[in-house]
Amino acid sequence: MELKICHIYPDVLNLYGDRGNVLTMKKRLEWRGIGCTVAELPLGERAALSGFDICFIGGGQDFEQGLLLDDLRSGKGGEIKAAAEDGVAFLCVCGGYQLMGHSYETHTGERFAFIGALDMETVGARERMIGNFAFETEFGAVVGFENHSGRTRLGGGVKPLGRVIRGYGNNGEDGTEGARYKNVFGTYSHGPVLPKNPDFCDAILAAALERRYGRAELAPLDDFSEREAHESVLRSLTGA
Amino acid sequence: MRLFLAILLCKLSRWALRLLGRGGTALPGKLALRLCPDAVARLSRDIRCVIVTGTNGKTTTCRIIEQTLRAAGYDPMANRSGSNLERGIAADLCANASLTGKPRRRCAVIECDEAAFKHVCGEIQPEAVVVTNVFRDQLDRYGEVTHTLESIRIGLERAKRATVCLNADDSLVASLAPDAPDRVRFYGIDVNLGEGADVSDAPRCIVCGAEYEYAYHTYAHLGGFRCPKCGYSRTEPDVAVVGVDALTTDGSVVELRIDGEIYPAAVSLPAAYNLYNAAAAVAAATALGVSAESAVKSLAQIESGFGRMERFELGGAKVTMVLVKNPAGCDRAIEYLASMGEGTTAVFCLNDGTADGTDVSWIWDAGFERLFAPGGGVKSIIVSGTRAEDMRLRLKYAGADEHAVRIVRGVGELADAIAATEGRVCVMPTYTAMLPLRAELAGRVGRKEFWK
Repeated sequence: MELKICHIYPDVLNLYGDRGNVLTMKKRLEWRGIGCTVAELPLGERAALSGFDICFIGGGQDFEQGLLLDDLRSGKGGEIKAAAEDGVAFLCVCGGYQLMGHSYETHTGERFAFIGALDMETVGARERMIGNFAFETEFGAVVGFENHSGRTRLGGGVKPLGRVIRGYGNNGEDGTEGARYKNVFGTYSHGPVLPKNPDFCDAILAAALERRYGRAELAPLDDFSEREAHESVLRSLTGA
Repeated sequence: MRLFLAILLCKLSRWALRLLGRGGTALPGKLALRLCPDAVARLSRDIRCVIVTGTNGKTTTCRIIEQTLRAAGYDPMANRSGSNLERGIAADLCANASLTGKPRRRCAVIECDEAAFKHVCGEIQPEAVVVTNVFRDQLDRYGEVTHTLESIRIGLERAKRATVCLNADDSLVASLAPDAPDRVRFYGIDVNLGEGADVSDAPRCIVCGAEYEYAYHTYAHLGGFRCPKCGYSRTEPDVAVVGVDALTTDGSVVELRIDGEIYPAAVSLPAAYNLYNAAAAVAAATALGVSAESAVKSLAQIESGFGRMERFELGGAKVTMVLVKNPAGCDRAIEYLASMGEGTTAVFCLNDGTADGTDVSWIWDAGFERLFAPGGGVKSIIVSGTRAEDMRLRLKYAGADEHAVRIVRGVGELADAIAATEGRVCVMPTYTAMLPLRAELAGRVGRKEFWK
C-alpha cells in the first residue's frame, strides 16, 4: 500500500512549522509499513490532484497570499475544489483553511474570491486571536496554537471540525472550530497540529486509505511522546 | 525635577532588586518612564549612540562593537543584559547618569528589539544603526516578517543623522536602504558557505514577488540574491568577508575587505553567522571613526555574550551554551552541535514565555534531523523547559529514540544532570530558559552575574 501526498503551495504557504504536518503523516504511514510519497505543487505549477490521496495546504503571510489569487484564478482553484468533491483527503490550516472558503473580506472592506470548496466566509478584523487552544472533535480533544485575525462563519453545507474547549476557534463567538466536508479537514490550529494529535492524523490517513483501498486498518503505534505532549498542553489549558 | 526623580527611583529600585539577588532592569526602567516619559531622549542627548536591531545576532554584534570601541579608546556603556525594550534601555541610561542627568559615559552601544526600534529611534538620535538580519521570529508577538520590516523602516526614517549599516546579503534587510546612499554602509559575505540553504523565510522578491536567483548562499535566505524579473539585487558591500581560510568550533580565519582595502582577520567566535556579526560590527565601528586596522584587530579578542556560545567547565563536562530563538538561529546551533563531534550530549530547553514566543511551532522548521543522520554526533539527549514534551516529540520525528530522551525539570536538577556528564555538552535554551540556567551554571563556576 502507498499513499501520495501533495503539499500545495509549499513555497508561499509555509508559515511556522507547517512541514511538521507532512512529516507526521509520512512517518506514521512508514512506521506501519505503508509507503508514502510527497510531491510539492508550488505557484505556477499544475497537477492532476485527484490522483493524490492527501492534499495539504498550510498558512501564509499576507504579503504572500496576494500572490496566490492569480494562481488560483488560472484554474488551480477549480481543480482543488474538484479534488475535494472527488473525496481526496485535505488538511487545510489557517490561511490555507480560509482559502478553501468562498471569500475573504479584509477589515478595510476589500473582498477576494477564494476557492469555494468549503461553504464558509471569512472577514478580517483588526484584533488577532492568538494563543494555545483546544477543541473537542469526533476523534477526541485536539490541542494547538491559533494566530489569526480572520473570523470565519460556516454555512449550512459544512460541519464544524470541533467545539472549542479553550480559545477562540473560527470566530471567537459561536464556539465552532474548523470545518469538515467530505474528506476535507480545515482548522485554525496553525503550524504542526498533527504531531501532538495522533488520532487526528490517523483520521485523515484512514479517510485517504478508505478512498484508495476501500479499507483502512491502521496498526496501533507507540504514541508515548505524542500523548505526553498532548496531555501537557491540555493540562495547562484546562488546569485539570 | 521629573528627570531627577525618575533617575533616583530607577537607581533605588535597581539597587533594591539586586539586594534581593535579581538582575532586574525592566521594572526600574518602567518606573523611570512612568515618571518622566521623555527620559530616554533627555539622557541620550549628549551621548554618541549606536543602535543594533534585527532578528538574530543583536547581542553578539553589540558585544563586538563595544569591545572594538573600548580597544580604540572609547568608553562605551551598553545594555548588556539583553533587556532590549524601551524600559530596559531607559534603566541603563539612568544607571549611566548622575542624579542631575549628566551622562558618565559619552558613548553607548544599544541593543534594541525590532518592534521597539521605531519608538526608540524617536527618542534617541543614533550616530549609527546596524540591522543584522530579518527572520521569522515569534510571530505571536511581532506578527509577520513584513511588519517587522515596516517597524524598522519607520525607525530608520526617524534616525535622520545615522549611518545605516545593512546586511547586503539579506534581501529583506537590504530593501531598507534609505534614499541617501552616502548614509548607507553595506556589509556582507562574498563567499559561498551554504550549499542547499533553505531560503523559505524570503524566497520571493520583496519588490515584485518573483522568485530570487542566487549566485551563492551563506545560510538561510542570505547570499548573492537577484530578482530575475525586476532586477532588485544584492549591492556590493563596503565591508565584506572575501575569503574564508578556516571555520572551526573555536573561531575563523578570514579576509576582510573594508572600503577597498584587504585585511587578514582572526575572528574568535565560531560559526559562519558570527562572521556577519563581525562584519556588521566593523561597519558600525568604522562609521564612528575607529580605524579599520584597530577594528580588525579587536575581532581576535571577542568574548562571547551572555548565553551566546558561552562556555563553562563543570567537573568533567565542557559546556557550551547557545541561545536559540527561532528556526534560522536554531539551524546554526544544530550545525555547530553536529560539528562538536561524536559523543556530545545535547540539552534542549524549550520555554514558551512571552520573551520566548508563546508559539513553539517553530521547532518543526528547524532541521533536528541532521543530528540523527550518520555522523550527527549526539551521544545522549536531555530536554527541559515548560514545553519539554513538545521538544521530545519533535526529536522523535527527527529520528531520536523517544525512550532514550530524558526529561529533566528544575534548574538545579538540570545543572546537576549537566555536571554529571563527561565530555562535551551543548545546551540550547530559549531566552527565559537560558536566564536561570545560566545563573545557576555561572554560580557553580564562580562567574559574575551580568549586572556586576
